[in-house]
Amino acid sequence: MRARDFLPLALGALIDKPMRSFLAALGIAVGVAAVILLTAIGEGLHRFVLAEFTQFGTNIIAIQPGKTQTHGASVGMFGSVRPLSLEDAEALKRVPQVTACVPVVQGNAEVEWSAGQGDSRSRRVTLYAVGPDFPRAFRMAVALGSFLPPDDLNAPRAFAVLGAKVRQELFGELSPLGQRIRVGGQRYRVVGVMAAKGQVLGFDLDDTVYIPAARGLELFNRAGLMEIDVVHDPEARPESVVAGIRRVLSARHGSEDFTITPQQQQLEVMSSVLDVLTFAVGALGGISLLVGGVGILALMTITVTERTAEIGLLNALGAGHGQIMALFLGESAGLAALGGAVGLSIGLALAQLLHLLLPDLPVYLSWTYILAAEGVAFTIGILAGLAPARRAARMDPVEALRSE
Amino acid sequence: MRPRDNLAYAWQTLRSQPMRSALMMLAMAIGVGSVVVLTALGEGARRYVLDQFSSLGTHLLIVIPGRAETSGGTPGVLSGVTPRDLTLDDAAAVARSRQVARVAPLNVGAAQVSHGARGREAVILGSTAEFLHIRHMRLAAGRFLPPGDPAHAASVCVLGAKMRSELFGAAPVLGAWLRIGDRRFRVIGVLAPQGQQMGFNTDETVVIPVAAAQQLFDTPSLFRIMVEARGRDSVERAKIDIGEILKARHEGEEDVTVVTQDAILSTFDRILGALTLAVAGIAAISLSVAGILIMNVMLISVAQRRSEIGLLKAIGATPATIRRLFFTEAALLSLIGSLLGWLLGWLASLGITWLYPTLHATPPLWAVLAALGMALGMGIVFSLLPARRAARLDAALALARR
Repeated sequence: MRARDFLPLALGALIDKPMRSFLAALGIAVGVAAVILLTAIGEGLHRFVLAEFTQFGTNIIAIQPGKTQTHGASVGMFGSVRPLSLEDAEALKRVPQVTACVPVVQGNAEVEWSAGQGDSRSRRVTLYAVGPDFPRAFRMAVALGSFLPPDDLNAPRAFAVLGAKVRQELFGELSPLGQRIRVGGQRYRVVGVMAAKGQVLGFDLDDTVYIPAARGLELFNRAGLMEIDVVHDPEARPESVVAGIRRVLSARHGSEDFTITPQQQQLEVMSSVLDVLTFAVGALGGISLLVGGVGILALMTITVTERTAEIGLLNALGAGHGQIMALFLGESAGLAALGGAVGLSIGLALAQLLHLLLPDLPVYLSWTYILAAEGVAFTIGILAGLAPARRAARMDPVEALRSE
Repeated sequence: MRPRDNLAYAWQTLRSQPMRSALMMLAMAIGVGSVVVLTALGEGARRYVLDQFSSLGTHLLIVIPGRAETSGGTPGVLSGVTPRDLTLDDAAAVARSRQVARVAPLNVGAAQVSHGARGREAVILGSTAEFLHIRHMRLAAGRFLPPGDPAHAASVCVLGAKMRSELFGAAPVLGAWLRIGDRRFRVIGVLAPQGQQMGFNTDETVVIPVAAAQQLFDTPSLFRIMVEARGRDSVERAKIDIGEILKARHEGEEDVTVVTQDAILSTFDRILGALTLAVAGIAAISLSVAGILIMNVMLISVAQRRSEIGLLKAIGATPATIRRLFFTEAALLSLIGSLLGWLLGWLASLGITWLYPTLHATPPLWAVLAALGMALGMGIVFSLLPARRAARLDAALALARR
């Protein structure tokens, strides 16, 4: 049988009974559409989360006091017998290929501004006591004025920089530059306002006030920093920078009593978790694909029984086992491929619709999953056709012809 | 036709086409089975989390220093420090509330713990005698921190089970001295192994008096205050009470966050519940695919049984009777299929529980009922069209065709 004859014969049978072909293909289509839609949401979420994290740059290395890890953070942040000091942060600047180094103490304090005539406004905010390199390290922009100046390490001037929301709440439309505010009871002068950054993973970055690190240690009466963030040259290998940091800090502390976490490493862990999630969701959609495969199996079984006479005739005319088998396999695979194609367009349309209706929900169509869904649909079609096709091929032509 | 005859007739039809019926039941069974297994998994995860939380203590409230104006993220994430310390005196004041049964101040930090040549870094918990009861911990040997003035920094410590085996091996441990940071402590007790609790392993901790921890970590402030309310009813009143007491002590400034365990619990409960529902919903899509399959096969079967339907009509069957016949067939198919699926799902859940004993994967009743109901509904809805087509057949034409 030539390929030109094979196709019309296999597909002609499908077109001959449009309703049942349509319904069988519909089963596969629903499965494929489910897989594509679900993985699109999964992939979209994946990209969204990674983008949220990488907006601060990818070449950041975090150093926390203490070596024991729980919940992915070092317990040493809360208390440690060997705290990280401002001098440690200063020393890390001398590690090769390090471009910026930011000491961080994070806390919570009341910020107060009196506009005069007894009009006083206050707000509880997240307080970041940081070094002057902070905006450069985390790629944050200053909207008004300037960030904290590079003052003396241990005796910086009492300057504060406001987050966009704090500025709005305390000053409204007035210019805050040069105004005196109270942070945790101490007096500071506002020198700048950060550009709005919005929420990052449920954490409002605009409801913050930045003050110099040494002042933060004093305000909170803390012995050491919570974290030192080191930014390295993007060209440099993170491993060599980590080794350099370890060498310098170990020499200063006498032992390795700190935890170094390159952001790259965190991103990889997060990425693999999200990949597994997307795959799992896709597999859930795959259950429908499986049921669709059962549908094709049922249809093909019925078809083979119905067309016993036709098979007998083909046999009598000299069609080989392989040819008859190929004919029925082609039919079931054609059904599945058709369903897959319909499912693909439904899935794509639904994903687009979802994107239009809920712009906040990240949707991303990944070719890998689209091709995988189509591939699985096709494979299921072939597998479902296998048993009925074998039965058809093994029929005795005489018996088959007699059944008419 | 009487209902009994109706049923017998439908059953006969299904039996005459065993392969076809088996495949349709299989499709239904896959759908129902996956819904049952997935909801069982979700329910197992939910129960696991609930168990973990209740093992942390009951009627628990946690006082965290610091407060954020914008409520983003869980309050438990607040790691911040505040200009005004949460002190031991604050903890003592909270204990005076009528609604409060027990109070344990808590300080956490990391330090090197060593005994002889062996040493490792460990999480140090600074607390008081009450901590044992509030956190529902048990002792394996010795006794817990002695009661008394919490400001008294006694040089005693209680070891977690794993710390004990790592530092001392099989050697006797009670009464031995070990070094935490730059101080010496005498071991007076060992905690019973507890394993992981919400990602925190108490076996790898050392508990010391809270005042000693404050000296060790050079901090005047507490990390948390754990409060146990008198009962379930007083949790909410205790929360208000604590807020007022601390506000009065902090010169009218509200700079603490009080979290009730119930609030955290219900958040987790909601998240996991929604997750289970979503997963079950995705699996339920396969039920609609199974419904399409049933419709397809029944349409074929209507076409194949034209003469039989014609005969039935010729001997006086009304369209309603014919419709009922096909409904019964579909209902029977989906019922058997979904019961089979339920059985399969139930067995799979048992298998999962057997493999992972910590995860009690039992399918919740609502999910089983919903899956069965939906399967039955799908079967009947998708048999509407074939049944109508069969009922509308003209008797004479149907008989004449053959």
